[in-house]
Amino acid sequence: MILNRYGHFSASCRPMIRVSNLSKSYNYPNMVLKDISFRVKKGEFVYLSGPSGAGKTTLFRLLFSDLKPDSGQIIIDGLDLARASANRVAQLRRRLGFVFQDYKLIPNYTVFDNIALALEISGTPRRFIQKKVWRVLKVVGIERQVERLPLQLSGGEQQRVAIARALVNDPRIIFADEPTGNLDAEIANDIMHILHSINGRGTTVVMVTHNRALLQKFKRKVFYLNHGSLQAYDWLN
Amino acid sequence: MPRIYDHLYPVFKLTVNNIRRHPIINLISIMIISIAMLMLALYFLAYMNADRVVSTWRSDLKVAVYLDDDLSPEGLILLKSFCLDLDEVIHLDYISKEEALKRFKVILGKDSSFLSDLPENPLPASLELLLDAEVADIDTVEHLARQLRRQTGVDEVAYGSYWLRQLFSLLKMVKYLGFIFASFLSAVTVFVVASTIRLSLFARRETIRVLYLVGATRRFIVMPYLFEGIFQGAVASSIALGLSYGGFYYFKIWLQEQVPQWSIAPMLKFFDLSSLLTFLLLGTLLGIAGFLISSRWLSRD
Repeated sequence: MILNRYGHFSASCRPMIRVSNLSKSYNYPNMVLKDISFRVKKGEFVYLSGPSGAGKTTLFRLLFSDLKPDSGQIIIDGLDLARASANRVAQLRRRLGFVFQDYKLIPNYTVFDNIALALEISGTPRRFIQKKVWRVLKVVGIERQVERLPLQLSGGEQQRVAIARALVNDPRIIFADEPTGNLDAEIANDIMHILHSINGRGTTVVMVTHNRALLQKFKRKVFYLNHGSLQAYDWLN
Repeated sequence: MPRIYDHLYPVFKLTVNNIRRHPIINLISIMIISIAMLMLALYFLAYMNADRVVSTWRSDLKVAVYLDDDLSPEGLILLKSFCLDLDEVIHLDYISKEEALKRFKVILGKDSSFLSDLPENPLPASLELLLDAEVADIDTVEHLARQLRRQTGVDEVAYGSYWLRQLFSLLKMVKYLGFIFASFLSAVTVFVVASTIRLSLFARRETIRVLYLVGATRRFIVMPYLFEGIFQGAVASSIALGLSYGGFYYFKIWLQEQVPQWSIAPMLKFFDLSSLLTFLLLGTLLGIAGFLISSRWLSRD
């Protein structure tokens, strides 16, 4: 096992995400993303950062095929998104985890059901679901809330449920879009610790944030976007 | 290996969730479809029973041949023989003048006393011909009547053609108009189901997005809406059948009380088992059709 200077897995050679010459516009010729290329290796934790309107969310959505690019190539865990059928993309998403600022939990599903849903969709046999859900509930520390509905939970607890749902399928990559955006500083720290601990177990994490304080505190590689271009590609100090 | 149950369980869970989460939309939809299906059921019931009653009357189709008073016994034998040789006639009764008077007195009841004051019996003798319902349509009966009128000793031929012809035309019209009516109601049902599911899709767009994100295929996402369409169609057609049975039951009682002499009420029948199942299937199919239309609106992305 090779550990990096933060005590986490060192990235292996194979890129988990490879983006080449990616461009996207909503209203041609105003390009949101201009000819962007980068790689994320297995086990890396990277931030996508930049000011509002820089194209972070667009890039983020392109990475899990929620949007189609105008040109360029995106390969996620070996799958070329431009060539993949809808079913292949669906199968890929089962190997990915998603965490959003607004949690995206199903309001009338209990915590347990929200987490179990990801397993049910992938056709996990019922007898394994209980065990797997409880395992991730312990990782994020919300075992006691299992029968509650999302709206009966605090923001931080809802985000933990979302992380548990993202984790339950043992994902290869976790995509997190401003996961601390709606949370106060203390809870945001807890969430960041959870994400880093997940990364510490070998899961690649791509996190969108514009919170410079977090970037300073939890130092990792940053892809800095500005006006649709990848302007910085370095450790942020 | 995941079993079929492991795949179907979450789909059923989502279906129940969809229905429970939007009870009002579902209730309104079921009510509207029930009304449309009720009208369909009442139309089919009315048509089916009218057809049955008319067929029964047709199978009891009689022609009365009134005879001249001066017809000789030999002439009567010849006429009887002529009638029995006709393909359409399956039975023949001779009603003498005395028998006709007796029957008339029974019909008049207490008011028949004036008949005793008459100097002679005014009623003619007649032959009552019972026709084969299989061959005796209205045109045949009219042709037969023309033939009989030409025979010696025949004064008049009566067969109630006018009202029977009117009834047949009415039934034919009901059949064709009913087809248009049924098509219209079916279209309304499909439209209602499609609109409800579309509303439902709109209301649950965030949930659908979550499902896509956690790796659901399009098929997985639309299946609950298919089941919802089936559910609405099946429940609505069951309600429509229940209501139409209630309406039919009370109409039958009312008809028996109002016009007992017509003896129509005992002839009326509700749907048999195969018709009930067909009707339920129709409701379900309309639900599926509604789903198919609405599912086109569900964007892949």
